[in-house]
Amino acid sequence: MNEILIYGAVISSVYALLAVGFTLVFGVARTLNLAHGSFYALGAYGTFLMTTSLRLPLTVAATLAVLIVAALGVVMERVLIRPLRGTGLAVPMVTLAVALVIEQALFLGFGSEYRNVPSFIAASVGVGGVDVSGQRLFTVAVSWSVLSCLWVFVHRTRQGSAILALSQDREAAQYVGIPVDRVYALVMGISAALAATAGVLTAPFLTVQPGMGLMPMIKAFSIVIVGGLGSVRGSIVAALLLGYAETLIAYKVSTSWTELVSLAAVFTTLVLRPAGLFGIRTR
Amino acid sequence: MSRARANIAGAIGFTTVMVVLPLIVRGRYFIGVFTLGLIYGIWAASWDFMSGLTGRENFGHALFIGAGAYTAAFLNTVWMANPWWSLPAAACVAVAFSLVVGIPTLRLSGPYFALATLAAAAILQRLALIFWERTGGEDGLQGIAPLLGSPLGLYYLCLFSLVAIVAILLAISASPWGLILRAIGADELACRASGHNTTLYKVVAFAIGAAPAGLGGALYAHHQLQAGPQLLSVFVSVSVITMAYVGGIGSVYGAAIGAILLTFLTELLRGAGEWRLLVYSAVLVLVVFFRPHGLVAPLWHALSGVGE
Repeated sequence: MNEILIYGAVISSVYALLAVGFTLVFGVARTLNLAHGSFYALGAYGTFLMTTSLRLPLTVAATLAVLIVAALGVVMERVLIRPLRGTGLAVPMVTLAVALVIEQALFLGFGSEYRNVPSFIAASVGVGGVDVSGQRLFTVAVSWSVLSCLWVFVHRTRQGSAILALSQDREAAQYVGIPVDRVYALVMGISAALAATAGVLTAPFLTVQPGMGLMPMIKAFSIVIVGGLGSVRGSIVAALLLGYAETLIAYKVSTSWTELVSLAAVFTTLVLRPAGLFGIRTR
Repeated sequence: MSRARANIAGAIGFTTVMVVLPLIVRGRYFIGVFTLGLIYGIWAASWDFMSGLTGRENFGHALFIGAGAYTAAFLNTVWMANPWWSLPAAACVAVAFSLVVGIPTLRLSGPYFALATLAAAAILQRLALIFWERTGGEDGLQGIAPLLGSPLGLYYLCLFSLVAIVAILLAISASPWGLILRAIGADELACRASGHNTTLYKVVAFAIGAAPAGLGGALYAHHQLQAGPQLLSVFVSVSVITMAYVGGIGSVYGAAIGAILLTFLTELLRGAGEWRLLVYSAVLVLVVFFRPHGLVAPLWHALSGVGE
């Protein structure tokens, strides 16, 4: 029972990091970013590269990896997404193509074998009679602190107010002088940084290989739909729901059924309550 | 030359080239590649009919392709049916799936449909892996009987199917029915305001697009003589969209030609070895960026309009 509580918390916090970034970009910029999973993979591989080849200390490598991926997100928004905004399918297509390029580049650079990334905390800790690796507990702690910082940033700062304003009404925001493009780039950078953080944190205990971004991205999709597209609060609640549901299934039934949980949840949500738990109903 | 005449001339020219092609470039291997190109053409054209006209992007076309291929495989290896039954059965199964997915999700606008179709294909793929005792798991079902004895025969069957399917889909999209589908793509709210039940139109268009995709899946199964879970993967859905995109979305014929061109491009890039997929995806980024409306259909539009 305690195992389910603890491992569920770990997986939910990772899902929350991924889904919040994804929903933020969609809610604010109306951009369906299909390269979100690649940012996650790049975070993990960036740390791997910088700790092995450049022999940087882990904390420095991890921070650098997150910053580089965030910069990449901003560059992608400026160069590829901005000129195509408003041409229908072009934005999801170009992000998808970027995801393919990144996956192939990782494959060529690192090969298809699984890579090991060092843990921040190697020791394992006993919590409520369960042995948990320190890295997993660290993941939970960092995820929720990052998300709290994001909440404070969005709700308590000027930049954050601009983000909220844009998510509510783009034109009205433009009229009061909010620099729309700059805010979009900022949001994309934050989203990429969140995904990369998830990659850096989970790399030591999950598999690191070129195609690692796909499944987490589908999970992020599912969570965002269940929580309501564009709703950060909904994403967090849905991440907890799905994270625990998956852990429960993994322990009580079988691990091969876990991936079906989120997909089935998506379907049920779309049929029963299309707007999601906290979404605003638009048709 | 008027545009309609130019279109007919283009269609005849294209068909002639495709009929003659395997007679010039000989060899079993190349005929196999060409056949694959035609099958991909069926997949892409059937995607483009629903998603291209109505603007509701289906990110799970692999659902219909995989369902068609598995239907063919089950009929052929488990129930020992005549291979020719595969084609109608696969189309019917695909239509059934399209109704199950389409009815709950097509009433919504926005990206819900895209995400739900993506999820539906992923669910079916997981189920195929979970029930591995029946579906063969990762390896899939092997030993499907070929439809026709000679590879050249299968090539011409696929060519005939592709031309027939594209012709039917183009005829529908040129009819008043297709006009309403295009109207939904342009402005769904206005279309509803003028009294059309847009959900019904979208669901029926989805089913019409699913049938050839299932048929294409069955053709693929009888070409490769096996059906595996990789047919249900996101990569299949994504490559279908890529092909339609390069061809020019909403044109149907462009999607089919785009699929054939990309199949040839992949073949040509075989010399690049492991760099192949990187080059392929980089080309894709450039095409999407510089030609957001695709290559084939806009080019043809410009060419056929020169004489006017």
